[in-house]
Amino acid sequence: MAQYLPILTMIVLVVIFVAASFLASKLLTSKRPTKAKTAPYECGIVSEQEPTERFPVRFYLVALTFIVLDVEIIFLYPFTTVFRELGGYGLGLMGIFLLVLIVPFAYLLSVGALDWGPVRQVTGRVLGPILRTTTVPSGIPAAAEPDESEDEAA
Amino acid sequence: MILAADPLFKNGVDGEVVLIVIGKTLVVFALLLVLVLLYIWFMRKVIADMQNRIGPATAGPFGVLQTLADGIKLFFKEQSIPDQADSFVFKLAPYLSALPAFLAFAIVPIGGEVSIAGHQTYLQLADPEIGVLLLLAMSGIGLYGVMLAGWSSGSKYPLLGSVRASAQLISYEAAFSLAIVGVLLWSGTLSTRGIVNGQAWTGWDSFATQWYWAPASIAFVIFIIAAIAETNHPPFDLVEAEQELVGGFHTEYTGIRFGIFFLAEFMNLITMSAIAVTLFLGGPSGPSLGFLPASGTVNAWIMPCFWFFLKLVILLYGTVWIRASLPRLRYDQLMDLGWKWLIELAFLWAMVTGIIIIAKQQDWDLLLVVPAAALGALAVLGFLRLCMPKPGEFMDEVY
Repeated sequence: MAQYLPILTMIVLVVIFVAASFLASKLLTSKRPTKAKTAPYECGIVSEQEPTERFPVRFYLVALTFIVLDVEIIFLYPFTTVFRELGGYGLGLMGIFLLVLIVPFAYLLSVGALDWGPVRQVTGRVLGPILRTTTVPSGIPAAAEPDESEDEAA
Repeated sequence: MILAADPLFKNGVDGEVVLIVIGKTLVVFALLLVLVLLYIWFMRKVIADMQNRIGPATAGPFGVLQTLADGIKLFFKEQSIPDQADSFVFKLAPYLSALPAFLAFAIVPIGGEVSIAGHQTYLQLADPEIGVLLLLAMSGIGLYGVMLAGWSSGSKYPLLGSVRASAQLISYEAAFSLAIVGVLLWSGTLSTRGIVNGQAWTGWDSFATQWYWAPASIAFVIFIIAAIAETNHPPFDLVEAEQELVGGFHTEYTGIRFGIFFLAEFMNLITMSAIAVTLFLGGPSGPSLGFLPASGTVNAWIMPCFWFFLKLVILLYGTVWIRASLPRLRYDQLMDLGWKWLIELAFLWAMVTGIIIIAKQQDWDLLLVVPAAALGALAVLGFLRLCMPKPGEFMDEVY
């Protein structure tokens, strides 16, 4: 564990440095908060909403998708240090493991979990039935564009 | 297999060793601060030249002290905390940003093996066996700094900036880690010292035969792109796209608290460039001066450092060039590039590399194995491309 001693000293040094900077700045400046200064910044407009609003769940889904790849990477790193001894056997096993991981990744790609463009509906695709579970049911004509007139009426 | 560990600790830890460690820590710390100061000046000067301007010219010779002046100014600015902010987390976030920025540089080998006061040691702060994994861990912790800073501000734009940042960082983290695998397969070790030793200078053709940029060429390109995206620098600076998000996650930070974020951001870029030098360009490896003794001061201390910093400056100049040339990407382009190109390419490149190494070792027929592996990789890539919805086409309400 001695190899981590320099990292420990660096942690201590950085914490001292940042704390000392804040302390120095605190001593050098005066604090004169006003209502406008401490309000959430919105380009000069007085904010009307609660600031901690909800954000698209898509960001959260990206984090979950990352876990799929992270598992793969966590296994690849130790594999790189021993795969010369394992030879063809290790290569085959790793290949199977990675193939298993490619399938969910391909599924995520095909359902558009990683698409960020404007949302439109799909009408028909070659690979659609293979990997998609949530296609438009046959018989119901899929709308090409969301109906805007209804939104306006509502 | 090379068992890498800093020889400084091989006889246990005593007072002298601790003193050397503290000395090395102080030197690396000061070096990083000076590098950031110089890099920001260098960046502004080069971009100014590219745009036919003069750039900073007043503070110090050629304006070299401009960054220092800006930093000192920040100390005298009021540190305001928004009334909606979570005060504790708001104050904690700069620490979480600064710590990984400093720590990630600890594993970078700056020079060769030297002797300080009778103790053999490497010119690098730390050489843990997990090496590169430490870098990944640090970029993971850096994400908390960004995320908590945005969340705790209690304001709209910082929150949006930080969720955007975290999605971007983890997306490119995957491509980044997979690109590193392309090097680790050749080196067979995670320790940065082991990786550098694998790229030692043996003759004038070493830069092509020993350094890993040639056998891991695609991984090198992916690494550079992903590293710039990881550190939120142009053209991937969507985190603080000022036209949309004011200043991104640090909009509500003022004074020296903002300064710490700014410092960490540029430090991360320098660290990433240094890691690129370590992984792909041989680190401190380079020709030494033949007419001087091999273990003398010049060849043991100065020449490796010279080669390391020369390569670092060349890479840093490249980042400035990219910054001055390329417009910012749109968010969907950014995510498409990361998830649909870089990850697949890095992954398949690593796979093909692994197959080739094993084929060489087992004396398989390379003429058969290499095209077969390449075709297999292309088939997987083609399958994944076929799975993707075409541009504009999208699912009904899945989410």
